[in-house]
Amino acid sequence: MKQVRIDVENLSFGYEKGQDILSQISFHAEKPESIGLVGANGVGKSTFLKLLVGLFLSFRGSIRINDIPVEKSTLPQIRAAVGYVFQDSDSQLFMNTVYDDIAFAPRNYGLPEKEVQERTKEAMSLTGTGSLEKRQIYKLSGGEKKLVSIATVLSMMPEIILMDEPSIALDPRNRRNLIGLLNSFGQLKIIASHDLDFILDTCGRTVLMAEGKIICDGPTKDILTDRGLLEKNGLELPLSLQKREL
Amino acid sequence: MSKIEHAVRDIHFITASASRDQWVNLIHPLVKFALTAGYILAVVSFPKYDLAGLAGMAVYPAAVFILADLSFLDAVRRIYPIFLFPCLLGICNPFFDKNTILIFGMTVSAGILSMMTLIIKGVFTVLASYLLIATTPIDKLCYALRMLHIPKEMVTQIMLTYRYLTVLLEEGNSMIQAYALRAPKQKGIHVKAWGSLAGQLLLRSVDRAEAVYESMLLRGYNGAYLYLKEKIAFRRWDVVYGLFWAGVILLFRKYPVVLIAGNLAGGMLG
Repeated sequence: MKQVRIDVENLSFGYEKGQDILSQISFHAEKPESIGLVGANGVGKSTFLKLLVGLFLSFRGSIRINDIPVEKSTLPQIRAAVGYVFQDSDSQLFMNTVYDDIAFAPRNYGLPEKEVQERTKEAMSLTGTGSLEKRQIYKLSGGEKKLVSIATVLSMMPEIILMDEPSIALDPRNRRNLIGLLNSFGQLKIIASHDLDFILDTCGRTVLMAEGKIICDGPTKDILTDRGLLEKNGLELPLSLQKREL
Repeated sequence: MSKIEHAVRDIHFITASASRDQWVNLIHPLVKFALTAGYILAVVSFPKYDLAGLAGMAVYPAAVFILADLSFLDAVRRIYPIFLFPCLLGICNPFFDKNTILIFGMTVSAGILSMMTLIIKGVFTVLASYLLIATTPIDKLCYALRMLHIPKEMVTQIMLTYRYLTVLLEEGNSMIQAYALRAPKQKGIHVKAWGSLAGQLLLRSVDRAEAVYESMLLRGYNGAYLYLKEKIAFRRWDVVYGLFWAGVILLFRKYPVVLIAGNLAGGMLG
């Protein structure tokens, strides 16, 4: 059986020469892990995710997705295996209708129209967006846009899903729906978020980043309950745990 | 409500109109596109003093407004700023064209006649374009353009510009609102802030464009035009509709139908 995994060795990267945002990162993950990527603003969480899908290739070290190295020649394979949900849904959704946006990836991968339809319907069914099929993207609420964004990635049937701040701008109900949805997925997931309660609810493993490095990598329950560790790295205990302390 | 908010609402209204299941909306996009292009060519080809002949061309927009169940007044309210352009062009004619023409026994200034012809040509062409976009969703319009072998890069540009026009307008609007909230005593935006606001908007647009492009790449985009892969078949009605209006437009272009009808009516009454 094909192994679904991510292997990162000694990864360093900077947008400007000599100014590394990420430094000497090594990281391994495999299906069906669900991993929370946490850290204060600007520690390089989003950059790390973008490197995994090859949006920047001028990194040092190595990144392998399912044993395929991330480099220019392998990008089509990498991107077919990895789905990326953007922080801002308006950047993710660029077609006019919900259906066309969800069908965009399968069509681009040259699938027959019948399979495109099947995949699109299935992604809509999984995310509960079937009733939005013909809606114009601009008419969707923030929560609906987020669900559609996830559906656009699910229609690719990726083995790995990367999500950048998925709970941002969601109301409590939509947030709860999203948690349920993510917990139902069997793919390897990496979720970058400031919302530590969200990570607590969706991820079994957490990676804490600070100043471009991985500070700590372990079970979510251990890391997110360690007040000293979190505060030292610019974070706070999840709100649900703070309430319990009160 | 600010002007930008009005503009965004207008774009949303037109998009919603185009997405309805009205009979005219379901006509093949290529038929509507070709009719609109043919209509515009026919309108602009009228001689500059042929106001009576041109008046007959009102039949096409008038009929489409009725068939598509669109409000004429709404349309005028939304697009009247464009009408100012032919008006500004035409207003010079009475000064340069001092000739006179005899119509129905009355002497009329040729300059005024040509000015009116120019304005009406402008109004008709703008209305025809409005009717096309208010009855045809942008993806179908792009499909028609591809059928005409317009380069896919250009069609993709049109599609994405349309999709992101509102996002950028909203971005601009929120910047202006943020400015106004911190400069409550100022009316409008101070000239000193224009540069930085425009620069910020440009940078945000570039950021947005980059993010969208990344999102497309991550979903397998390789530059090929792939929207509306399902072929839109021509139905019998599309052909009948296209031929009927092509005939009407040609008829009204070749013969002054309004004048003939007027003479006939006058003769019968007389």
